[in-house]
Amino acid sequence: MDFTLPESALAVQRGIGGICSRYDLGYWQRCEDDKRWPEEVWDELAKGGWLGLAVPEEHGGGGEGLLELAVATETLSASGAAGGSAFTYVLTPGFGALTIDRHGSARQRAELLPRLATGEVETCFALTEPDAGSNSLAITTSARRDGGDFVVNGQKIWITGVQRATWMLLVTRTVPAAEARPRSHGLTVLLVNVPEAVAAGRLSYRPIPKMGANTTPSNMVFIDDLRVPASKVIGEVDQGVAVLWDILNPERVLLAASALGTAEVALRVAVGYAKEREVFGRPIGANQAISFPLAQVKAKIELARLMIYKAAWCFDRRLPCGTEANIAKLTASQAAWEAADAAFQTHGGMAYSHEYPVARLLTDARIAKVAPVTEELLLNYLATQVLGLPRSF
Amino acid sequence: MNIVVCVKQVPDTATERKLRSDDNTLDRDAADGVVNELDEYAVEEALKLKEAHGGEVTVLTMGPGKATETIRKALAMGADKAVHLSDDALHGSDALSTSYAMAQALNKVGFDLVVLGSESTDARTGVLAAMLAERLGVAQLTLANKVDVDGTSITIQRITDYGYDRVEATLPAVVSVVEKINEPRYPSFKGIMAAKKKPVETLAIGDASIDPSQVGLAAAWSEVVDFAAAPPRAAGTIVKDEGDGGAKAAEFLASKKFI
Ligand SMILES: Cc1cc2nc3c(=O)[nH]c(=O)nc-3n(C[C@H](O)[C@H](O)[C@H](O)COP(=O)(O)OP(=O)(O)OC[C@H]3O[C@@H](n4cnc5c(N)ncnc54)[C@H](O)[C@@H]3O)c2cc1C
Ligand SMILES: Cc1cc2nc3c(=O)[nH]c(=O)nc-3n(C[C@H](O)[C@H](O)[C@H](O)COP(=O)(O)OP(=O)(O)OC[C@H]3O[C@@H](n4cnc5c(N)ncnc54)[C@H](O)[C@@H]3O)c2cc1C
Repeated sequence: MDFTLPESALAVQRGIGGICSRYDLGYWQRCEDDKRWPEEVWDELAKGGWLGLAVPEEHGGGGEGLLELAVATETLSASGAAGGSAFTYVLTPGFGALTIDRHGSARQRAELLPRLATGEVETCFALTEPDAGSNSLAITTSARRDGGDFVVNGQKIWITGVQRATWMLLVTRTVPAAEARPRSHGLTVLLVNVPEAVAAGRLSYRPIPKMGANTTPSNMVFIDDLRVPASKVIGEVDQGVAVLWDILNPERVLLAASALGTAEVALRVAVGYAKEREVFGRPIGANQAISFPLAQVKAKIELARLMIYKAAWCFDRRLPCGTEANIAKLTASQAAWEAADAAFQTHGGMAYSHEYPVARLLTDARIAKVAPVTEELLLNYLATQVLGLPRSF
Repeated sequence: MNIVVCVKQVPDTATERKLRSDDNTLDRDAADGVVNELDEYAVEEALKLKEAHGGEVTVLTMGPGKATETIRKALAMGADKAVHLSDDALHGSDALSTSYAMAQALNKVGFDLVVLGSESTDARTGVLAAMLAERLGVAQLTLANKVDVDGTSITIQRITDYGYDRVEATLPAVVSVVEKINEPRYPSFKGIMAAKKKPVETLAIGDASIDPSQVGLAAAWSEVVDFAAAPPRAAGTIVKDEGDGGAKAAEFLASKKFI
């Protein structure tokens, strides 16, 4: 047993830590307020090879894996990016590069990986539909075979980052849910060229006004008779569920890492405030009612981090990682929420002022309990798949 | 072009710096060591010159064992190799003997151009470039905010209070740079990983023909006799504006002989 991080992950902490030291909480607050992508940080990450960490070296990447991406996400998040870090790492390095690397054809890999590694080409992922969120197998977006193409129709919701994406990983049904045996059969993941589909009038999107995480818009997406060549299938037709799990598990790990970083910032600002703020003639941190919740959060942060690293470690070794990824996601989002809540209580009324970052951290931490998978569904998984309890649904 | 860039490890300016009570020298173990900020600009300039003219960039550091951390940082930025001059006998060296020891190391390593920061954040004497040039018998071009090399001729813009001077010399030469000169790059992922495998040659004083009687605390021309912590800042005076704020502020300044 060895708990030291590999050199590659330490390099990530040092390198990204160095970049982030020049962008403070105020920078991230301004990105959120102005609803804008953190271009400056993105450019630095791209230039330094930090986006292509998990792309094989022969395709221009760092040749590492999900562990390094998770450490990158955590470092970025903990530096102050909080929830915004999730999109930086999950959309292109995660959805795009990891998926194409593991399931793309030789041609897709050669064409896309080098440009995904540099961030020159970006991706987004479209699974959720108005009537299929937690029950993702119930999606109805259909891809019908027509000669050498698929013709796609349907509607997606909450699809984040469409605006910047060249390619969308679109999850479709090539066999309707009602006819699929088992229900996970008949899914097909397609690569859709977003600007081309928009130009052809076959795909449109509309941003959803949202409570937080505004560095990247999330959208309603409408698809109408969109033709996608069969060469753009990722993995096998009808066997998309294998691809899907290799998208969803890393997504959970990276979102957990982002939540973990959110917990770390929240704890840091709370501890700072608890040391400085004096009430009744002593620092408020001297009251155990203030210090114990912060101490609890510290313990939960450490536990969540272990699980995140373990899940990533399993994924990188191609071991089953569903249970680990789900526990990582569950514990990290709870740590984030409790940290933000404790930070709120510690700041008293000042938490409510935009002078402090607490409101943003609270919003970012809250969504981590729902997206990309709800806490209830994670618990369902543990109850039924791990403990073998009967299903309620 | 064979470029040597001098990189000093200094205590992190963000942490509290202490002197040792036994010999009045800096307690280098008490604080985190970081690359002297201006030396990152020196490394950047060296790398740019290499990119434009070819050649090799060697990092030269004189410092204790733990300076290897900052040597790695300079290598991660893209320098090719490093020479670490490290010997207990060097402890306590003053600026004169530091320049002697480094000149000896430079003579051993060989160079066309030596690039330094114009000042360190710990000792801040700002004299090393001049002393080195003198000891090496080559031209000194200090306080550069622009460097151009053309064949064997080198031209800099030397910043001054009134603008800048253009200073020209023939290589080999010693250049020191100011922070306006460039924007140091961040180490890339591959840079950091590759840095671990780049050669770092450690020199003891004997390896660089350094005379032990000319270095160290005993050889220093100057001596730190005593030191004391800076007194805490006294509370400021608050002038409350009740219609006469301007007059009160002027009175205060006059009482301190500012006006
Ligand atoms: C900011 C943001 C960004 C997103 N980005 C993307 C994206 O890029 N791509 C994408 O495809 N999707 C994205 N999503 C969608 C996200 O994955 C879904 O919102 C999430 O999976 C939950 O689905 P739902 O919203 O339909 O909730 P529902 O499935 O409607 O669930 C509602 C509530 O019912 C509970 N519930 C449902 N069934 C059960 C049960 N059996 N037992 C107990 N409780 C149950 C749920 O836990 C939840 O609390 C994003 C969402 C948000 C908010
Ligand atoms: C506690 C303490 C006591 C001291 N006592 C004395 C004393 O008694 N008498 C005295 O004369 N000096 C003394 N010094 C100064 C000390 O010797 C200097 O640190 C040393 O001479 C280098 O000078 P500098 O850092 O001021 O160089 P500067 O001239 O300010 O630095 C310019 C550039 O030179 C290069 N450089 C400097 N040092 C190194 C190095 N070690 N390795 C690689 N590159 C380097 C860097 O590129 C740097 O940017 C003392 C310093 C301290 C901290």
